[in-house]
Amino acid sequence: MKGKALLGIGAVAALVLSGCALNGGESSNEGESTSGPVTLTFQSLAYQDSTVAAVKDIVDTWNSDNPDIQIKLTQGTWDNVHDQLVTQFQGGTAPDIIHDESSDIMGFAEQGYLADIGKYLSADVKSAVSKDVWDTVTTADGKVIAAPTLLQTYVVFANTDAFTTAGVEVPSGKELSWDDFQGVAKQLTANGKFGVGWGLKQPTAAVMNTALGFDGTFFDTKDDGSATIHVGDNELAVPERIHAMAYDDKSLDPVSLTQSGTDVLPNFLGGKYAMYVGGNFLAQQITESAPTGFKWTVLPPLAGSAGATQAANPQTMSVSAQSKAPAQAAKFIDYFSSAENQAKLAQGDWLIPASKPARDAVAAETKSTPVWTPILASGEDLAGAPFQKAKNYPQWKDQFATPALQQYLANSISLDDLKKQLTDGWSSIG
Amino acid sequence: MTQTLAPPSPPRPTVRKVAEPPARRTRTFTRPLQYLALLGYMVFLGFPLLFLLSTSLKTPRELRSTDSSFLPEKLNWDNFGNAVEKANLAQAAGNSLYVAALTTVIVTVISLPAAYALARFRTKLRGVATVWILLSQVFPFILIVIPVFLVLKQVGLVNNPLGLVLVYTVWCLPFALWMLRGYVAAIPVDLEEAGAIDGAGRLRVLRSIVLPLLAPGLVATSLFTFISSWNEFFFALVLIQDPGLQTLPLTLARFFGAEGQVQLGQLAAASLLATIPSLVFFLIIQRRLTSGLMSGAVKG
Repeated sequence: MKGKALLGIGAVAALVLSGCALNGGESSNEGESTSGPVTLTFQSLAYQDSTVAAVKDIVDTWNSDNPDIQIKLTQGTWDNVHDQLVTQFQGGTAPDIIHDESSDIMGFAEQGYLADIGKYLSADVKSAVSKDVWDTVTTADGKVIAAPTLLQTYVVFANTDAFTTAGVEVPSGKELSWDDFQGVAKQLTANGKFGVGWGLKQPTAAVMNTALGFDGTFFDTKDDGSATIHVGDNELAVPERIHAMAYDDKSLDPVSLTQSGTDVLPNFLGGKYAMYVGGNFLAQQITESAPTGFKWTVLPPLAGSAGATQAANPQTMSVSAQSKAPAQAAKFIDYFSSAENQAKLAQGDWLIPASKPARDAVAAETKSTPVWTPILASGEDLAGAPFQKAKNYPQWKDQFATPALQQYLANSISLDDLKKQLTDGWSSIG
Repeated sequence: MTQTLAPPSPPRPTVRKVAEPPARRTRTFTRPLQYLALLGYMVFLGFPLLFLLSTSLKTPRELRSTDSSFLPEKLNWDNFGNAVEKANLAQAAGNSLYVAALTTVIVTVISLPAAYALARFRTKLRGVATVWILLSQVFPFILIVIPVFLVLKQVGLVNNPLGLVLVYTVWCLPFALWMLRGYVAAIPVDLEEAGAIDGAGRLRVLRSIVLPLLAPGLVATSLFTFISSWNEFFFALVLIQDPGLQTLPLTLARFFGAEGQVQLGQLAAASLLATIPSLVFFLIIQRRLTSGLMSGAVKG
């Protein structure tokens, strides 16, 4: 009996110790493609039922048209894709074709885990996407490590009945300036109802993306990913305005600043907030959940002193450098990125196609749904932002930017404290 | 008993009258309170399941309404149909059952003799083994996942349910061993000695005396192992890639999207269905989860 017990304990020890003694990583096959029939794995992160079905349709069509390049579809999740890929790259078992987003994959690209697919993509796919968006998937040494697919922007949803009741005209036009936005919010605040609800539980991404509208770049990034931080008036313009709306004008519910976008939605649908700021994908949830008779629209893109620019963080399709058939995998991505396919996927997720022909196709197919017009318009001014290429940005975001912004938006620290925490935090890790 | 019959000696009847009725009255008064407390406790324990059931029967519109009640407006079974279709729950449940049941059997088979040895045999190795068991609980998942992944890949157990069984066995074994060791130590050695004096050999003593008394301990460790394996997510996420081999926690994760999006109704329906096998397993073996088997077994 004692022997059996010790054998069990020994097995545990042997397993853990032997594991610790091994080194990760495998040699890459980049640049070499096998010839002949191949089966490639494609991990999709599609979430909405209609998008999942659309992805399956695309894969099925491809498989029937391309018997030599068969795609095996697997399903991943956005919450866990990073941890999953870290382990799979280390163990050499990553999927051949990887669905993710540009801010997540640039780190993997730096470590050499993603293949350069620029040489395999067709001229049509390349020309369909703006240079600014291509920049978000291009490394400092010029490798294109993904094809950008769908984009998200921050938009203002409006309860049009609340505007009518308050006697306020619904803003129209090409852009909505922050000043006008603040003014309208004040007019709509009365009787315990707020002009705006904005779920900023995780505020950094929203602030960094919208700061570009005031030329707030935060970082000067070099080719090697090193960066210096600059937090000036332009960078602080967005948090300062949100703070003023919440605590000076009292037109933005401060409670909503502590909640996620999805948590705030019921109060928008319930009439507590006349406007609701969030990712454009939330339009899908509004469509699905709005009470009968609820009238809503999307206002023109929010514009700062530098226009309606926001940072582009597209969803991406990459090829693992460990894939034995990168050329064939890239060929599938080329097909996947066609305007027809992207238009189909964009409508399922209520996201904006990175491809101009796909945006045109969505516009043509959604004429009966007017809210698509401002959503697609908000995708016209997307640009690459320096923070996306700053090597230590993810660490700074989690350890310093998010807690500092949360404290400032909770009215716990001053604007100067916020500036100091953002700057000192970067200095300690940058 | 009446005043007419016993007027001269009031103390005795007074004592009787005071002693008996209040005890009965107290019981009459406290018993409903005890039942009330028990009911409250049961509601407290059962509320998550009731909430899950209620959520699973609501439409997306009700779920995002600020004035929705606890009970659904009408029974909406669509969430169950969609969840089963989307997440392929039956196949995932089969995979989870296979992995959890096999892990439970292996952990029980290994930990039973090991726990007995650790509790009964006083050797120098006992201290070392005890420290190792405690030490092995210190490592967080994230620290060991890559080395474990590489080891399993070398032996061809990535994307294989047996790989998960091995990992879960290793993960659950120390705690199960520690738990079972406590149960063995609680069995008086005198009982085994009594059996030996009556002529029983070591195996007979183990089979006829120790094993029956250990039943509650075995049930507790089995439950712990089964539920831990049934619910585990992270290792399964990393080790299983083939959709046909995915376990229930992996399929449930499909109901979560980016930036806090969640298909709440379908998730609740799928979670409710995923809970059923665990409940059945618990119902089957909970009868063995008794205490007091050894009360009065030894004198003093």
